[in-house]
Amino acid sequence: MLELDGVSVDIAGVPVLRAVHLHVPPGGRVALIGRNGAGKTTTLRALMGLLPARQGRVTIDGREATALPAHHRPRLGVGYAPEDRRLFGSFAVRDNLLLPAQVLKLPAAETARRLEAVFGLLPGLRDLAPRRAAGLSGGQGKMVALGRALMVGTRAVLLDEPFQGLAPALAQRYAEALKRLHHALPEVSILITESNPGLLRPLVEQSFVIERGEISRA
Amino acid sequence: MAGWFSENGLLLGLALLDGLSYAALVFMVAVGLNLVFGVLRIVNVAHGSLFAIGAYTAASLGLFLSARGLPPAAGYAVLLLAAVLVGGVLGPVIERGVLRRVYGQEDVLQLLVTFALFMILEDVQKLIWGVQPLFHDAPMKFLGTVDVPFGEDVIPFTAYQIFVVPGVAVATLAGLAWFLRRTLTGRVIVAVTTDKEAATAMGIDAAKVTLLTFTFGAALAALGGALASPTTSLVPGVGAQTIVLSFAVVAIAGLGQIEGAALSALMIGMGRSIAVYFEPELEVVVPYLIMVAVLLVRPQGLFGVVETRRV
Ligand SMILES: Nc1ncnc2c1ncn2[C@@H]1O[C@H](COP(=O)(O)OP(=O)(O)OP(=O)(O)O)[C@@H](O)[C@H]1O
Ligand SMILES: [Mg+2]
Repeated sequence: MLELDGVSVDIAGVPVLRAVHLHVPPGGRVALIGRNGAGKTTTLRALMGLLPARQGRVTIDGREATALPAHHRPRLGVGYAPEDRRLFGSFAVRDNLLLPAQVLKLPAAETARRLEAVFGLLPGLRDLAPRRAAGLSGGQGKMVALGRALMVGTRAVLLDEPFQGLAPALAQRYAEALKRLHHALPEVSILITESNPGLLRPLVEQSFVIERGEISRA
Repeated sequence: MAGWFSENGLLLGLALLDGLSYAALVFMVAVGLNLVFGVLRIVNVAHGSLFAIGAYTAASLGLFLSARGLPPAAGYAVLLLAAVLVGGVLGPVIERGVLRRVYGQEDVLQLLVTFALFMILEDVQKLIWGVQPLFHDAPMKFLGTVDVPFGEDVIPFTAYQIFVVPGVAVATLAGLAWFLRRTLTGRVIVAVTTDKEAATAMGIDAAKVTLLTFTFGAALAALGGALASPTTSLVPGVGAQTIVLSFAVVAIAGLGQIEGAALSALMIGMGRSIAVYFEPELEVVVPYLIMVAVLLVRPQGLFGVVETRRV
């Protein structure tokens, strides 16, 4: 579903990813484990087209996407929950969730169906819907960011360190939501980054390790 | 105090009325400047030139058309037409042709580029319209004057400056607030302003939004100029004065604040106008004094929130 094939990425002229290979099969759940500064976020940004690949190939859903502009990638069914949530603070939670679907000009009925599906998977969001996103707690914000990614991520979601900074009880809730997601929508691929190697073991089938911009199979 | 008032009350009334219409014009420019900065993250020094060119275009077009028998009432449509023309042509040319090349570059470079643009536009303006004052006040004369009650007196003042100019500014304020909060295009603009990368990852074409926002901001500045044109004779230098005042307005209001920009435009407009009537030599410094006083107390502006910007 998602593939990086020998991809190198530079940031401000400094090589950050060095000819990395990464493969996420359709419906597969994959972890990308690495320390601070290893290049996890950079890998996800490269998949989303937010950073250009200096060399190598990016494939999304069997389609050559190396040169595909970033704003076209959600159209292929890829949702992205960035590190630090990055919600649109002045919008209500509901509008944060709806925005990507509206931007893709999905039919209203389909948008409503997806919103209901997201509320079904992440029940807490229904009550939060009218609240301003800026006023949410960190844990609530992570749930909204996951929901927002799912509004367009019908084929894959990329979750950047969703567990970072979550209290144990909230981390538990988030992990349960991911399990529900996998059962309800087994066709959706999930790529999660994390710095703690043990944490994701029960949630994924496969792990990659990234170290100083180089990815290896775990 | 009472003695001062009976002597100077009328003058104060005049100053306030003048200030109101001036504030409305400054608001039109400042609100566009603010919008454009939010999306482009570039302080566009040339924004004031669009005000000036809007004013000149409106006056020329008005003179040209009324000489060919355009009824005076249609003069207001001409003002709008001038704004659409200037925004619609210069907006894309400047954004695509110049600004797009310096996005994400160092602030100093961006500032130099927009300053250069400002100088070029000033010269283009002198090349086209010369340095002789240009005057076309038909749209103002057409509405005549109204008697504004002020204490026991009445002040005759032009209806155009009391109703049309502030009316357009209020409509702009309300329309913009509605547009940004209630329409998808508006929300997309706010999303890009808040976080361009996150917006892009949601499927938003930031380049398109940038072009749209800049063109819209340019048209607002040009509309401000067009509205101003019947009230004054146009001379080189209008652009510089306008941009300086709208910088003060944006600084006082805080970034991203539309309603706040309206209030701070009122402060600047009234303050400047009171200075013009009572201490003319202070006209130039009063807006800065107001700005400095506000920023000393609240560095983020009156209505601004401290935001942590990501790079
Ligand atoms: N904007 C930037 N400018 C310069 N270097 C950068 C920039 N962004 C990232 N880097 C560098 O790229 C490397 C990888 O960064 P990245 O954010 O991908 O790491 P990460 O694994 O996500 O780390 P973390 O766990 O802290 O989120 C780091 O060494 C970082 O310093
Ligand atoms: Mg990271």
